[in-house]
Amino acid sequence: MGLKYDKETIELPASWKSKPLPLIAIGLILLVISYTIGLTVAGGGTDSDRGMRFATHSYLANFMFLLSFSLGALFFIMVQFLTRAGWSTAIRRVAEIKMAILPYSGLMFIPVLGLVLTGNYALYEWNQDPSKIHNSLIRGKIEDGYLQSNYFTLRSVIYLALLSGMSIWFFNKSRAQDESGDPELSLARQKWSGPFIMVYALTVSFLAFDWVMSIDAAWFSTIFGVYVFAASMLGFFSMMVIINMALQKAGKLQGLVNVEHYHDLGKFMFGFVMFWSYIAFSQLVLIWYGNIPEETEWYRVRLNGGWEYYSYALIIVHFAIPFLGLLSRHVRRHKAGLLFWACWLVAVHWMDMTYLVMPNVKGGFAVVPMVGHLIGGFGALALFAGFFLLKASNVPLVAVRDPRMPESLTYSNPIL
Amino acid sequence: MSDHKPKNTTGTKAPKAYGWMAEYPDEHKLLEAARKVRDSGYTDTDAFTPFPVHGIDEALGIKPTVLPFIVLCCGFTGLCLAVTMQYWMNGVDYMYIISGKPMGITPASVPVSFEMTILFSAFSTFLGMIALNKLPRFSNPVFTNPRFDRATDDKFFLYVSASDKYYNRDSVKELLGGTSPDVLDEVVEDGSPAELPKFVWLGALLVVLTGLIPLMIVLNIRESFSEKPRFHVFLDMDFQPKKKADQQTTVFADGRTMRPQVAGTVGRGQLEEQDAFYLGYDPNDLAATVKMTPTRLVSLQDGAAQPPADAPATQPPAATDSAAAPATAPTANATQPPAAAPMPAAEAPEKPWLTELPIEANEANMKLGELKFQIYCSACHGYAGNGDGLVHKRADALAQGTWLPPTSFHIDRVKAQSVGKIFNTISKGQGKMAGYANALTPKERWAIVLYVRALQRSRDAKLDDIPVDKRSSLEEAGSK
Repeated sequence: MGLKYDKETIELPASWKSKPLPLIAIGLILLVISYTIGLTVAGGGTDSDRGMRFATHSYLANFMFLLSFSLGALFFIMVQFLTRAGWSTAIRRVAEIKMAILPYSGLMFIPVLGLVLTGNYALYEWNQDPSKIHNSLIRGKIEDGYLQSNYFTLRSVIYLALLSGMSIWFFNKSRAQDESGDPELSLARQKWSGPFIMVYALTVSFLAFDWVMSIDAAWFSTIFGVYVFAASMLGFFSMMVIINMALQKAGKLQGLVNVEHYHDLGKFMFGFVMFWSYIAFSQLVLIWYGNIPEETEWYRVRLNGGWEYYSYALIIVHFAIPFLGLLSRHVRRHKAGLLFWACWLVAVHWMDMTYLVMPNVKGGFAVVPMVGHLIGGFGALALFAGFFLLKASNVPLVAVRDPRMPESLTYSNPIL
Repeated sequence: MSDHKPKNTTGTKAPKAYGWMAEYPDEHKLLEAARKVRDSGYTDTDAFTPFPVHGIDEALGIKPTVLPFIVLCCGFTGLCLAVTMQYWMNGVDYMYIISGKPMGITPASVPVSFEMTILFSAFSTFLGMIALNKLPRFSNPVFTNPRFDRATDDKFFLYVSASDKYYNRDSVKELLGGTSPDVLDEVVEDGSPAELPKFVWLGALLVVLTGLIPLMIVLNIRESFSEKPRFHVFLDMDFQPKKKADQQTTVFADGRTMRPQVAGTVGRGQLEEQDAFYLGYDPNDLAATVKMTPTRLVSLQDGAAQPPADAPATQPPAATDSAAAPATAPTANATQPPAAAPMPAAEAPEKPWLTELPIEANEANMKLGELKFQIYCSACHGYAGNGDGLVHKRADALAQGTWLPPTSFHIDRVKAQSVGKIFNTISKGQGKMAGYANALTPKERWAIVLYVRALQRSRDAKLDDIPVDKRSSLEEAGSK
């Protein structure tokens, strides 16, 4: 293609290239601090195990927060090729980098696997001798051999291998195209995105069941995987807006990413605010109407002990406010407005991941340990930024020789 | 359309002009021309293309529509209406308990509110689009030119209307001519008359009048009386060549359609009707008491013999627990010959209810009884049989005054009842209580009787009734 790029505009700012390792170090330190705060502050009193439970749950929630950006990115990339989308080519490399750090984020699950393999049951109640568990539902799942530490580890490794494999495959094809400009590389990705997306759907569903849902091993919800998926997509799109705007603020991607791309990302944010609410409500209404004790347990801990305010607040801050805020196209085409909502949604996405995990610590909402948990959330963000810059340091910030690049640069939204 | 007159109408025959239409071979030329026309200040313009052209809105200078705001307002109206409606219906006007859910707005209200929002939004989008486009419009002068048909095929048209406030015939022609169109035509009125033809009016009138006929028929039927039988649409379905059970027939000598059981046969389920395990009483004892064999009952119904005048009323009541039977107890109807006058209920002979359980009083049966009791009985009678189940509590909370509380098992009348009688109550129901014979097998019903007996006994139990080795656990529990 005859496109010429200014080399300056498609590279990370030089000052950012030295940041990855410090950021990763900061992220790890913040996570350790958060873990320590959880361990020491949340415990005590009659419930001596609570500190350990709080710290491990907090780590899992922040890990899911970190991983969700890459999970969303992988799906986004696959959908772009599945639909042969042209509009997104200019912003696709940023998404590809987010996708390609999935193996790094996945490594952060090793501590959890370590807990499981050493027989710790602070996080996963099922990871102990079934005779010590009163709930026959959990006992049944252990005795069936599904919730069992070795099998759990095997499955986790398979999930991470599949997701990382697909991410690396897509990323390498895209990088190869940077060199050769071969359209066949796009066609190959188009061909495989269909089968891969099915693998992705099953993997993410079971990943959500095993890693997050099984902290309440008696409870089950078949829509849970979709819930985690919807939340991940929301986090991904919001993070896309933030990263692209940050890069443009630093003088990069000039003339490549324009208001039309932001408008579309804004539409996706708006759509996934709605989709998240739809999925969350779908899960709630069936359980609420059925009113069967083994199903309501998950909501019982979320609607008692102080967590009820948190859960109800989530309806407002995760649905009502951003829904109305992103409703207008003028907001979605307004840079500062969209950036505000992107930051808002990343924050409530963290709240949502916290909502999925933390109430299961049992013992109600406690403010001081939650501050520790929040520090871990910042740690996850720092880790994400570090991983992102690490991966972005030596690759162009756009897919320079993608045959769909001209389509993306001239694309415009119709006036409604 | 518009009463605007083009400035130079040459000659008397010239038809009314509506503006200029330029034809282009591709969308790039069209976009270029559209921008030029827009920059010249014309706003009453339109483009016609075989496919949607990106950027044409901006090139034509079309302002964003107000439709989204109309839709937002209507959608919000729908939401408010749905919430108000549901709150009024279930929270105020008709407070009806549905599976113990709260009144008024609940999570179950969300789908309805969502649907109403969507409904109002969709309707306002559609109708708003129609109204803002000033539709329906039956004819448009742009169709006069046969070249325009290719707008759906391979040509691109730009139209500047004569109703534009800056319209000037010559300058527009010059402007459009300068964009190098393939063809430049003036849009003129076609020669056909503007009025609707008479036959259209006549046809519409006919349609309206015909449409009134069904309405008139309905009104007529509603407002008039008729002694004739109703109209039979399907005669062979209304009058089928068959006999119903209570009709007469000439086929059989006795004139009855429903046939008595053939001697020496056993109907399905009939054996059970002679077994105390299914009945709660021994049918042979009953026959002995009322001095009437089952065979005799059949022959009476058959009309073969007249009933003895003194047959039922003088029967001594069954000895067991008739005194404890409530006034509404199901009477032994089967023992009454049809010719006899109905007896006062209080004098109805009580059946010889079983006094011993036909099942073993072991742990398995007790567990079965407990399980089934908690599933089927406890909702009304309560887990301890005090007649204070959840249904009772909720009905009581409504305070409507018509609620008859469920019976407590610990009152003397029930305690005095024999097991067969309790079994019968479970099977056939009592008062407001429905029978549970369909839901519970006889064994389960007997198990419930066993459990009810255990509940009754536990009320007056003493420590001595408990086996020595179990007492300690009870004392432990009590001390906690």
